[in-house]
Amino acid sequence: MSIVHHPSEMLLSMHAAGELDEGQSLAIATHLESCRLCRDTVLALESIGGAALETVAPVGMSAGTLERTRARLERLPSAGAARPKPIGAEAPLPKCIQRYGVAHWKWVAPGVSMRPILLPRSSQTRAFLLKSSRGTSMLQHSHSGIEMTCVLAGSFSHEGGRFSVGDFDFGDAAIDHQPVVGSEEECICLVAMAGELRFHGVFGRVIQPFIRL
Amino acid sequence: VDWAKLVAEVAVRQNRQAFDALFNHYAPRVKSLMMKNGASEELAEDIAQETLLAVWRKASQFDASTDGVAAWIFTIARNLRVDAIRKARNLIPLDNSSYGGWEDTLPTPDEVIQAQQDRKRVSRALAMLPVDQFQAIKGSYYEEKSHGEIAQALAIPLGTVKSRMRLAIERLRANLDNEE
Repeated sequence: MSIVHHPSEMLLSMHAAGELDEGQSLAIATHLESCRLCRDTVLALESIGGAALETVAPVGMSAGTLERTRARLERLPSAGAARPKPIGAEAPLPKCIQRYGVAHWKWVAPGVSMRPILLPRSSQTRAFLLKSSRGTSMLQHSHSGIEMTCVLAGSFSHEGGRFSVGDFDFGDAAIDHQPVVGSEEECICLVAMAGELRFHGVFGRVIQPFIRL
Repeated sequence: VDWAKLVAEVAVRQNRQAFDALFNHYAPRVKSLMMKNGASEELAEDIAQETLLAVWRKASQFDASTDGVAAWIFTIARNLRVDAIRKARNLIPLDNSSYGGWEDTLPTPDEVIQAQQDRKRVSRALAMLPVDQFQAIKGSYYEEKSHGEIAQALAIPLGTVKSRMRLAIERLRANLDNEE
């Protein structure tokens, strides 16, 4: 199965430079686990980051910092200690998601449930797994903030195309769409979302207060 | 200077002279790059020290068969900067924080071999990138920016500099796509 939809060059470079928050970098990392091309791209960008480090004009350290750092070496073990794997997430989830705790599935709407990923409070972006049964038609909606989606199972389609396992979708305030889940199986996505969803139509406005994603 | 050899000296013999040489070369450069990315001088200096401490601690994890010492140190410094920003925003320290997507766990032997193959592919693709396009991407790491600007950057239309960088990354991806 080949991946059609990738994060933009801008997003990959911001990821490589460490400029995305936890939720957003989790969405990119999820895509990287199934996309070698984007993984290679980030590796190449990090290599260029190394070239930037090598050629930047150095700024002198304060007097005595080398001595203080050397003194701290004496108290450090020389081998990198492996951190324990966090528990609470099932095995089939991508490794980058397993690093975080995951809450229980919650009902959102008929055929739709979600499972919050427990990110540190510093993340301005929320992340959750979204599960929709086959053929579910989501309400027409737009976003007040940035939304990043990576497909883990199944597929969905909207006017931007069809998104299946590994595909990455980016939505912002300019996007107004109505995704439809593929009829072959249920669809599970990792979603990183800043801001709120805005639903359209009479029904959408009626249920808006009850749907909290 | 063969920086990879100095890292190996640290890993195998805990050689303090090798560490001093790495510190004197890289700490002022990490400090400089962090300041360009919006860190205060004090924070930049802290990150530079922590970066070199991590080099000492993780030296045995570095693959000395590559010439990627600078890239390795760059990623360590980047992750420390991200952690520092997140800790500051959280007000209370996170004792287990680490940048999402970069695990701090030890790689398995299979992952080590995979990583070596990845790096070879990537350096071949980088070698075929025209110099001005390499510079366009490299220049993006030197942009002076504050964290507030970064938060908005996703919404800002692409300027000339950004579009040059985007074209360069497109070319890079085309090169990578040809590597099998």
